[in-house]
Amino acid sequence: MLLFSKIWKTGIATEMLQAGDPAAIEIGRALERRIKRLFGRALAIREVDAGSCNGCELEITGLTSPVYDMERFGMHFVASPRHADMLLVTGPVTRNMEIPLRRTYEAVPAPKFVVAVGDCAKTCGVFKDSYAVVGPVDRVIPVDISIGGCPPEPTDILRGILQGLDRFSQKRETTALTLEPVAAVR
Amino acid sequence: MAFGTFALIVMVVGYAGGACLSLLARSQRSARMLTALGAVVGCVGGLAAAVSVFATRVPVEAVLPNLVSAAGGVVIRVDLLGAFFLALVAAVSLPAAIYGTTYMAEYEDRCSMRVFGLMFNAFLLGMSLVPCAANIFTFVLAWELMAVSSYFLVMTESENADTRQAGLWYAAMTHLGLVLLLPMFFLMAGGSEATSFADLRTGAATLTAGTRNVVFLLALAAFGSKAGIVPLHVWLPRAHPAAPSHVSALMSGVMIKLGIYGLVRVMFDLMPSGPAWWGGLLLAVGSVSALLGVLYALVEHDLKRLLAYHSVENIGIILIGLGAGSILHGVGLRALATIGFAGALFHTLNHACFKGLLFLGAGSVVQQTHTRNMEEMGGLIKRMPHTALCFLVGSVAIAALPPLNGFASEWLIFQSLLAGTYISRPEIAVGFPIAVGMLALTSGLAAACFVKAFGISFLAMPRSDHAAHARECHWSMRAMMMVLAGSCVVLGLAAPLVIRGMNPIIDSVPGLSAGEPLPRSPQLWLMVPNGSAQVSPLLMAVLLGAIALAVLLAIHAGGLRVRRADTWGCGRISQTPRMEYTASAFAEPLRRVFAEVYQPTQDLSISVHPESRYFIQSITYTSHVVPWFEKAFYDPVTGGARALATQIRRLQAGSLHLYLLYVVAALVAALAFAWWSK
Repeated sequence: MLLFSKIWKTGIATEMLQAGDPAAIEIGRALERRIKRLFGRALAIREVDAGSCNGCELEITGLTSPVYDMERFGMHFVASPRHADMLLVTGPVTRNMEIPLRRTYEAVPAPKFVVAVGDCAKTCGVFKDSYAVVGPVDRVIPVDISIGGCPPEPTDILRGILQGLDRFSQKRETTALTLEPVAAVR
Repeated sequence: MAFGTFALIVMVVGYAGGACLSLLARSQRSARMLTALGAVVGCVGGLAAAVSVFATRVPVEAVLPNLVSAAGGVVIRVDLLGAFFLALVAAVSLPAAIYGTTYMAEYEDRCSMRVFGLMFNAFLLGMSLVPCAANIFTFVLAWELMAVSSYFLVMTESENADTRQAGLWYAAMTHLGLVLLLPMFFLMAGGSEATSFADLRTGAATLTAGTRNVVFLLALAAFGSKAGIVPLHVWLPRAHPAAPSHVSALMSGVMIKLGIYGLVRVMFDLMPSGPAWWGGLLLAVGSVSALLGVLYALVEHDLKRLLAYHSVENIGIILIGLGAGSILHGVGLRALATIGFAGALFHTLNHACFKGLLFLGAGSVVQQTHTRNMEEMGGLIKRMPHTALCFLVGSVAIAALPPLNGFASEWLIFQSLLAGTYISRPEIAVGFPIAVGMLALTSGLAAACFVKAFGISFLAMPRSDHAAHARECHWSMRAMMMVLAGSCVVLGLAAPLVIRGMNPIIDSVPGLSAGEPLPRSPQLWLMVPNGSAQVSPLLMAVLLGAIALAVLLAIHAGGLRVRRADTWGCGRISQTPRMEYTASAFAEPLRRVFAEVYQPTQDLSISVHPESRYFIQSITYTSHVVPWFEKAFYDPVTGGARALATQIRRLQAGSLHLYLLYVVAALVAALAFAWWSK
């Protein structure tokens, strides 16, 4: 009974979806075509927070919101780097996250595609020279493309991924022939 | 002398000789060897007798009228149904006895091997004689020999309080069965002097419907308490873990099947063509047993208790087959009914094989890890690869996955239930689909349970020092497990041939027989007589093998390379066994779904730092699943018995005067009775 009275009192708690950023839709469509050609299936993304202030995470979460809804363009977040094609790394790499980040990178199947999101991931931003920080992401693992902004908007992130995929297609052709041996970290 | 009679004599002499010789053995070690020697000779004799009955289709008979002639003497008659169960007893006892030779070595300094040898062989003799008995006296004698000797086998580790408790439960439940068994036979005899089964069969036709119903209910309860149907199953999860593992294998694999034998003998052979509700009751009891058995197995983390609960489940599945068959038989769909009966009998055989195998596997694991708690195992597949492989075969078979034997028999039982659609009666239209649903749920949960049992025990990293230092068990134990594992595979692949071989058994029993020649099914296909469904385990195996081969070839030909790396552990620096998935965690989602059934108790205690409650010093969480129906059914009974005993104890006050009064009162009462009856 409580449930029904609550439903009655609350009314409709959602609102009509406003039309999103048309630029984002356009980039999304381009991404969709590119992903389909490169992978023949959806792009699996693993997000790693290497020490971010969570500003970038807010924007990345926006990608899955009804406005951007990146799953319709064939991109989705996965729960393990073993399932991922691409790593999305945010924040300056803190000392605590250095080894976990490296291990995550090793766990991704080759060819590995790394996108560093935000100013911190690119240059350490305001945390530069902090005692707690090892350095930007490319000090720890090879980065394919960095997306600037503090934080970058969802559209910027989509655009960055699109540019990165171009490099990725070249990388894939070379790595398919020379798969580097991976030593397990003990 | 006929070959069959000779084989029976070899069997009895083997078991009796094993019992006596091991009692007289000079050392503990030689007692172990003689125990196995007698058992092996007995098993070979039993198998030979069964084979001769199968080959000649002539029952083996032996009558010793002068042995306790007041009760009708000892009458032995091994017909086809008896031979089937005799073969089942012998076939599982043989590997179990050889396995026990090495397995019992660790018990040498804890208990007497001589007494164990006596009881073990007496147990095998009792089990072998039950399906051979052809009169009430012989049957009850063999039944009690089996019950009493197995009680002593359960009590092997009697210094353990849990074992004594288990022994008490077992003794109480098994004698409850006897208490119901005797009135059942007396009612069947109907006041006449008839004691042989042949007389009972002819006499049963003249019984009134009410008497027949009472006899049926008594038989269901008496044999059900041995077979372990819910709610009479309470002794299984207590007694099976307490006994040495090869004895558990025999009790779970074979002894409880003799409960099924008794039920089939009374319900379908001595009193055939009962009313429809008999079958309906079997079906209902079977469905409930199967579902509750697997549900309790799911939350059990003691490896042997888990297997014991699975026995309850499988007995339920067998009863479903018998119940469905009996209902179909009752409405005249006799050819279809044989599918249910064949499925039930085949599942009896299959369960004996894979449950025996699983208990032997569990025995090897327990011997090495010194614990029955799955949460302290792990990583055993690296340390005991052969045991792990055998246990895996048993797990796949009991989970009814093709192409092993569990699949074939459960498929037949499913088909017999689906055949209920041919009967247009409302109670069947409602009842059969519910039974199908419960059986399907049971099979699914059983598969989940064995993913847990195998995964937690054998995979990942060892969770305790004992598990880390486990070594592969003795070759003789492994060889016996492989024999049983091989039989699971062969029975699975050759299922259509086995079913063909079973048709004469079914035809020989009046209540099971189709009464018409069945259409000969093709060699490779299991088939429903009306042709509505068919499946071929062998072709399935070939297909699965081909798929596996194709995947392997694709990996090799595709140039894919194998990369060896650590298990993904969320990037943490060090991984310890404490971070592994546990059996409790695996079962937790299902425990929540079925919380209404389990009624778990939970206790969470958090101790905080005295300065601030934000600093937590320790968190203790305990949760138990206590079967509520055990409380509901048995607490009043045990409480009542206790209260009654306290009342009766007043009679024995220790006062001599009171006892003299009793004597005088008894005398006066006797005199008064004598005067009155004059």
